Amino acid sequence: MRIAFAGNPNSGKTTMYNALTGRSEKVGNWGGVTVGSKEFKLKKEYAGNKEVIAVDLPGAYSMSPFTPEEGITSEYVRTANPDAIVNIVDATNLSRSLFFTTQLLELGIPVVVALNKTDINEKEGTKIDTAKLSAKLNCPVFETVSTENKGLSEMIATAISLAGTLQEAPYLQADIDLHDKNAVDAEDRKRYDFVNKIVAAVEKRKVLSAESTAQDKVDTVLTNPIAGILAFAAVMWFVFWVSQAWLGPLVADWLVGWIEMFQEWVAGQLENSPAILSALLADGIVGGVGAVVGFLPLVMVMYFLIALLEDCGYMARVSAVMDPIFKRVGLSGKSVIPVVIGTGCGIPAIMACRTIRDERERRATTMLTTFIPCGAKIPVIALFAGAFFNGAGWVSTVSYFLGLALIFLGALMIKGITGYKYRKSFFIMELPKWKAPSLKFAFKSMMERAKAYIIKAATIILICNTVVQVMQTFDWHFQVVEEGAENTSILASIASPFAILLIPLGFGVWQLAAAAITGFIAKENVVGTLAVVYALTNFIDVEELEMTGGANTVAMTMGLTSVTALAYLFFNLYTPPCFAAIGAMNSEMKSRGWLWGAIGLQMATGYTIAFLVNQFGTLITEGHFAAGFVPGAIAVACFVIAIIMIGKRVRAHFDEQYELHKKTKAAVTTAA
Amino acid sequence: MNGATVIAVIAVVAILFFAARYIYKEKKKGNACIGCPYSASCPKHQQGISCDMPQDNK
Repeated sequence: MRIAFAGNPNSGKTTMYNALTGRSEKVGNWGGVTVGSKEFKLKKEYAGNKEVIAVDLPGAYSMSPFTPEEGITSEYVRTANPDAIVNIVDATNLSRSLFFTTQLLELGIPVVVALNKTDINEKEGTKIDTAKLSAKLNCPVFETVSTENKGLSEMIATAISLAGTLQEAPYLQADIDLHDKNAVDAEDRKRYDFVNKIVAAVEKRKVLSAESTAQDKVDTVLTNPIAGILAFAAVMWFVFWVSQAWLGPLVADWLVGWIEMFQEWVAGQLENSPAILSALLADGIVGGVGAVVGFLPLVMVMYFLIALLEDCGYMARVSAVMDPIFKRVGLSGKSVIPVVIGTGCGIPAIMACRTIRDERERRATTMLTTFIPCGAKIPVIALFAGAFFNGAGWVSTVSYFLGLALIFLGALMIKGITGYKYRKSFFIMELPKWKAPSLKFAFKSMMERAKAYIIKAATIILICNTVVQVMQTFDWHFQVVEEGAENTSILASIASPFAILLIPLGFGVWQLAAAAITGFIAKENVVGTLAVVYALTNFIDVEELEMTGGANTVAMTMGLTSVTALAYLFFNLYTPPCFAAIGAMNSEMKSRGWLWGAIGLQMATGYTIAFLVNQFGTLITEGHFAAGFVPGAIAVACFVIAIIMIGKRVRAHFDEQYELHKKTKAAVTTAA
Repeated sequence: MNGATVIAVIAVVAILFFAARYIYKEKKKGNACIGCPYSASCPKHQQGISCDMPQDNK
């Protein structure tokens, strides 16, 4: 038996689905979080002995799809013949929700209405007569609160009992010509009239929708093009400051101290064992993985704060304020959503791009969205901010907003290459009501991500660090590399050719090149590899649990100045993301040309930013350009020429594709 | 070979074996992004297809 969960965006479908199935699908206090359908068995406590599959569908306002995700929902309920439909209705906005309900009721499939978010109605003094509503809609109606599992048992039991019966519709669409837009509009107005009559009969509101509330006043400021962006900058600065300069490091210092003590203990136990074993276990596995896990508190605090922002409804306001800018640079208003999601992880952000209708806008967003530093890049930022910038919170904030600026610049460039002009595109997003964020939700979200982070550290990163340690310990004849002859190791000989290319960027040494390369497997690997190749833990006093020697010692060991450290950080942040994210890009773009274009653009962007930071930073701090200025400038010039050439080629094909009479004209001229 | 060395060798082999086995199992299940907090939510993953596989043009 299959029960479909359908309703308007942000009505609480996925929260209800999670509660009924025990799943942990991504939820958010804004529309458009669910982009595809999901299926899972209902928990036994709800389904009893029957096998009932719940199908969570993306939000839809009507059966006539305006967006691709609405298309998924309308196609599913029309063609997949579910045994029953649970229509989740946002009780705080009944008049808008019932339009879709009346359409679902026409399909003949039994419908059960879940009047969700009734707790908010209670607070606002809105009363809905459910018995009357049930009679008017000709289907059972239940008051539910998905977040508290309230009313779910009775609702789902009724849906199961009604499965297979025939639903009688309270309103039937007139037999009109569906190709006639005016007739369809008139019919929709009639349906709205029908819905409004029902709402008038069953709902009593204390606060009328037309009244301006305190929430509306706050929204006026936060969605203002200037004040909204300033507020967003301030909020993000605060998030990064708390997670990476205050609370995060406080916990991380304590955790790192314990990890280092454990590492010292392991190394001590292996004093009389072969050096390779000690290097492999103490430095490679414990040291490398420990270096990554040491940053876990920073990542957890950041995820917690982002979850609070999402849950209270702020991120929806950010989308509204960014929308006009995104449209202006040639992206869709919907491109805002992947960018916001990208702060957590690039893969769901790339997946969220599929809701963008226009192919070029969708591909451009997919190409650019990973410029926003994801959670995996946080350890890299934190390591460099801590070692070179005294743990300053501005490093993260600058990295984030530089990522945003690169998205805008990249979008403008893609617009120039593809030769498209500004066009109007529509982005409809309801601003959810402000609410006190749920600490439980934020904690759960944080713990899920922390678990995933630990799994990644204990599997992929552990194996990578072991391989790096082995490659660093042995030369090509599998002889242990002598002290002082590290340049003969397998790792050094593989990474050295790449290191030459990085000289203009200020970090042309094989250790840093190796760390950047392993970063393509998982970005946290940059930290793990640096910890292994430089034995970074040597800089930590295990008694005092603090860093010794300061930035200068670390800088001397790594051969970096503050300027080159910043260049290296930006190189790792803005070059292509990890392979998994590139795979997701491939899947969403469905074009090899665009995929390679994306990889090339990201590589060129990371290289150029690092080059500019290193060369101009050195010019400012030391009064001269850094080493490798000329070859670096030639490389950057080559990127520019390549982009111009690609642009010309693309536009030439564009003309060929749409030219109608040129061939005929040429033939006539030749004949004459 | 002393006791600590034997334990260390066993520990290294066991850690690497379990890590590699976990990755292999996840890959076999179609999860291309090990550790990704959204891999379970990925609609393609639920259908047994990994995230980086091309999908049809529906």
